[in-house]
Amino acid sequence: MEKDRREFEAFYTAARDHCLRVVLISVGDRHLADDLVAEAFTRAWASWRKVRGHPAPHAWVVRTALNLHVSWWRRRRREVALASLDEAVDASQPPGLDSSLVAALRRLPARQREVIVLRLLLDLDTATTAQTLGMPSGTVASHLHRGLAALRREIPALDYQEQII
Amino acid sequence: MNDTQLADAVKSGLTEACDSLSTVHMAVPASKIMASVDRARRHRRVGTLAGTAGLAAAAVAVGVALPASHPAASHPAASHPANGTNARLAAWTVTRQADGTIEVSFFRQLRDPAALQAALRADGLPASVTFIGQQNSACQPYPSPQHPGVIRRVLTHGGFTGNPLARVVPPFHIPILIYPAALPSGAGLQIAVMRGIPPGPAGPWPHPKGHNLVTEMSLVKASPQCTGS
Repeated sequence: MEKDRREFEAFYTAARDHCLRVVLISVGDRHLADDLVAEAFTRAWASWRKVRGHPAPHAWVVRTALNLHVSWWRRRRREVALASLDEAVDASQPPGLDSSLVAALRRLPARQREVIVLRLLLDLDTATTAQTLGMPSGTVASHLHRGLAALRREIPALDYQEQII
Repeated sequence: MNDTQLADAVKSGLTEACDSLSTVHMAVPASKIMASVDRARRHRRVGTLAGTAGLAAAAVAVGVALPASHPAASHPAASHPANGTNARLAAWTVTRQADGTIEVSFFRQLRDPAALQAALRADGLPASVTFIGQQNSACQPYPSPQHPGVIRRVLTHGGFTGNPLARVVPPFHIPILIYPAALPSGAGLQIAVMRGIPPGPAGPWPHPKGHNLVTEMSLVKASPQCTGS
């Protein structure tokens, strides 16, 4: 058990900031990203013996955080929005989250967004992405193709390799 | 531009955006992330031992596990009848720690929010507990200019520090920690729990076999009609 603790602590220390930034890119809300990533790491510790054997434990954490975001969003749609609270959060966002590419990424369907985050931002190969998301490799390729096509439509500058950030 | 070139451009752009967040750090220490899971594991071990010893009711087992708890915690609520085969019959427990922290753990689907509400109020927490969609109409949102900071100080769920509206999805067995001392003057806590087990997204959930308990927590104005005081 003590070995597990040391392993998890080392993993958490090494991966937490990167996971937080990746999730922040995807959800665009610092406080929410904090919560999602903390909860995902909590679940990683609860299932550490399984997670540590995963080919990309940090991707497991990011995927879990993004899944939590999906369920959070589904519930939120049914509820009365408290606009003043949302504004308070938005005002505290760090720079770097307002690029057209990041905004377009967030508008993608959840699965396309997850595939792009795992394949391109976490630099996973197709097989590991497929294992992490629990889908066939061909589906990963399909989501990636569709996601990139959607980004191309939203940001024509991508085709001209112009500055996009 | 073909797909490979496009992927490279997107990768470059996203990596640059990520790099620009170099000042963003995860502040929660590993010890806090691990603490709630460790606590839940201790509770489960005690429950298992109690079952092995042939204790007939979980109330006894959990009561042993939770020193310094108030009567509701010593006799955790069984929100449905005991079936005589499971060592843990309680749907939830409420424990007040020596430092004033109130620890709420869910073990089964909540069926009697009024009992949980009574236990929290008995521990001095102005609280309203209902099912989602049945929130007490007498409750008004607490107008806090410090939101979301306030709610984040009032409760945590393991490493889950509470988003602005504190919608949390705690797996069963992992406690929610409530800090009554952090409640602003005139504020209470509204807890709404989803009735029935939601299907949840496909994912590697640790507890138990994919079941989670959706709860929503927010600050409300304390009043006798809403939070009991």
